[in-house]
Amino acid sequence: MKLRFNRRSVLKGLLGGTAVYVGLPALDAFLNSNGTAFANGAPLPVRFGTYFWGLGLTDTPTGGTRWVPSKIGPGYEIMPELESLAALKDKVSVFSGFRVIGDGRANLVHWSGHASILSGIAPAAASKFDGPSFDTKVADAIGTSTRYKTIDIDASVSRQPVSYSTRTGSTFASPDATPLALYTRLFGPGFQDPNSDDWKPDPSIMLRQSVLSAVTEQRHALMKGLGKADQMKMDQYFSAVRDMENQLAVQLQKPEKCESCVVPAAPKELPRAASVDVVNENTKTMAKLLAMGLACNQSRVFTFVHTAGSSETYMAGQSKIYHQITHDEPTDAQLGYQPETSKLASQVMKGLGAFLTELDAIKEGDGTLLDNSLVMAFSDTGYAKIHAIENIPMFLAGRAGGRHKAGQHIAGKGDSVTRVSLTAMQLAGAPVGEFGAGSMKTSNPIHEVMA
Amino acid sequence: MKRTIEAALAVAAVLSPLAAMAWTKSYVVEWNEPAMYYGAKTGVIDPGTDCPQGTNPEVDWIKVLMDAGYTREEAEWLRNPANPTRSPVHGQNQMAFRGKNRANVYVNPTSTPDPGLVGVSGTIGEGIDLDGNPKTGFTSPTGEKGIDNNFYKTLGCWKTYRGPQRLSSGALQFNDSMRNGGWTTLIVVAGKGADPMNDPNVTVGIYVSDDKMVKDGNGNIARDYTFSIKPHPKYEAIFPARSRNGVISSTQPTEGTLREPGYWRDLELLKAQVKLEMKPDGSLVGYVGGYRAWQPVYQGWVSARGPVIEALTWVQLPGVYYALKRNADYSPSGPKGEKTHISYALRVEAIPAYVMTPDGTQQVAAVESYKSSAPPLEPVRFAATSFRVIDGIVIDPKAKHQAGPDAVILPPTNVADAGK
Repeated sequence: MKLRFNRRSVLKGLLGGTAVYVGLPALDAFLNSNGTAFANGAPLPVRFGTYFWGLGLTDTPTGGTRWVPSKIGPGYEIMPELESLAALKDKVSVFSGFRVIGDGRANLVHWSGHASILSGIAPAAASKFDGPSFDTKVADAIGTSTRYKTIDIDASVSRQPVSYSTRTGSTFASPDATPLALYTRLFGPGFQDPNSDDWKPDPSIMLRQSVLSAVTEQRHALMKGLGKADQMKMDQYFSAVRDMENQLAVQLQKPEKCESCVVPAAPKELPRAASVDVVNENTKTMAKLLAMGLACNQSRVFTFVHTAGSSETYMAGQSKIYHQITHDEPTDAQLGYQPETSKLASQVMKGLGAFLTELDAIKEGDGTLLDNSLVMAFSDTGYAKIHAIENIPMFLAGRAGGRHKAGQHIAGKGDSVTRVSLTAMQLAGAPVGEFGAGSMKTSNPIHEVMA
Repeated sequence: MKRTIEAALAVAAVLSPLAAMAWTKSYVVEWNEPAMYYGAKTGVIDPGTDCPQGTNPEVDWIKVLMDAGYTREEAEWLRNPANPTRSPVHGQNQMAFRGKNRANVYVNPTSTPDPGLVGVSGTIGEGIDLDGNPKTGFTSPTGEKGIDNNFYKTLGCWKTYRGPQRLSSGALQFNDSMRNGGWTTLIVVAGKGADPMNDPNVTVGIYVSDDKMVKDGNGNIARDYTFSIKPHPKYEAIFPARSRNGVISSTQPTEGTLREPGYWRDLELLKAQVKLEMKPDGSLVGYVGGYRAWQPVYQGWVSARGPVIEALTWVQLPGVYYALKRNADYSPSGPKGEKTHISYALRVEAIPAYVMTPDGTQQVAAVESYKSSAPPLEPVRFAATSFRVIDGIVIDPKAKHQAGPDAVILPPTNVADAGK
């Protein structure tokens, strides 16, 4: 029987009068016999994303570090603050020693670092970039055949949504800042106020009834035409969607009445800061949703913010926020580094570990979604205590469909951060030959990691 | 091209058989920091001969707020990071209002009693004997008496300033900024004698340049790069001096202004002197000292966001104000005048560089003033930020609730929509 679904198919259904869509993962049925490409010979798509976290990783005033491996090249050792990447080490390249070269422009703290990495230009003002962020160039190159050109996500639970993706340098993307918003973007229409005059289906109903129920007929038809492996994959996939729906539905259920409770006015905004465990949980939840969205070809490009540049996250129960601790914690004389800062950095890196693990959990072809992705993870600063813009931690994760010779440690020795950015663009498939301006202009990607 | 210009001034030689070979050495400052002698073996907060009890201790802000009249509930709410207005980006503005009748203690530090600041109690200090009196001041690490550095005496146990050379957090922060292009300071030393190491007639000029320093692959400032002097109406200092065994010392005090590695930027020195050593490796290290007005220094911290400075560096700014005032040791109007200035020394490390005249056409061959050719002083342009600081706190004009003497602290008034 000829399968009437292909890799571009989307399951469609009606729910409460509104169309809902569920994309499909790259099933074996869509692939060649080796699982390395689509049946018609087209390669599996490479996805690209940026992952940002605030406040760097821990260096020491005497030149020591808690994150830079001593071994250069493949087989680098896992440093304390990279522990959460250990399981994926072979899919992650570490870039140390790269720096922002301002050409006389001041170091705008918690801004110059990532602005330069993303735009290639040391910024003149702390609220703007002097050029577009390069993720938009990648999106223009590889993101045109999907429902969304790019998906912007902010897991930081900040007062204002945080995004560093910009086409103009002055206007930044409006990210999905909650799991629900992301879910709604990926699997249904946008969330609407149920009390508004312009009534649209209540997302809680959508969740309870399940998006999947709206596409039941199509789902059954699809399952019939699949081989056993694909059927299992689809079951797994739809189960995962269902798990997520159940998790999100909890947030939408009205609690039991309680006499002593006086319902306060609904908060109009989320808290401005959140403890790191909450942010990490948020990261994991949103990564799971994003991974599904990417696997289902909703988009091929994303930007993800774990915590903002001057991160306000904190360890639950502590009176100081992470940002403050990076500055005010003295270097421990015996240890040679700031222990609380390092502990928080490790916690923050758990977010990246969880994020990549979610991408790696989705099987795709003979590998995983992460194998067909390239995630450039980076921060705003190196040694956060002094707002250093040298040795800013940068990582490339995922094999980019085989283009990225992952699992290496590259020591930049003072080279511009833009070399890593250019490398990422080229690995992602963007036709970009050079990047940056002034002393950060480069046409020299890091060939060691390019297959 | 040689940096030391031993150009035989042929014409001069003809005119005067006694004219010696003039010489010039030129440098770029690759590191500078307030001269703070470090008396511990290791660490920052650990006890040492300078600060036997260690650094000024971390502040119990709950207690400080309660002492200022806030209830415990209010104080704990203000210090809880989960609350929306806790962000140091916005400086926890209410922290300012802890003076009498909830006056802003940053602009009115005497509205609260002196909370104290641990000062240096050691006897060793770095700097210069500014008053020529060996009985006043510290003893230098090499045994020289009379080192005047009350700035160090006042602030040397502040966590920001304490630490081994080049390793205090304040020095790291501002030198990192300078080395990344924030500003460039040049030093030109010129003599008229035959031996630069022993010359009774030396002049030292300190200038700024618009040319940025360049780092080598190891992140160090590269030697022997070229910089042009930028004539500046303010940043320039010229010191009459002599050299003896390679140590250049002032022969008479002067006045001058340097670009300071600190929040206040202008290091305006009265009775300024230098003590700089020409090292065998070609570098120049030592001190530039003098008396500086202390109130602008205090204002620098206030303008850097008082609550942020306090929270991050373990001081109460009113305590800093009182301590500076208490230890000020110089009055420009005479011994009986108000002591508006405090003795100070900047530790300087400079490396060889080619220094050109402002038009870039030739290397400088003498020390001279370029102020007359400087453009008018421009207003200080701070790096563009997304916030503005007024009276030591960040004001968000869009905020519905502002901190102040009459602000309601606790929820529900503020929690639901604070910061809007």
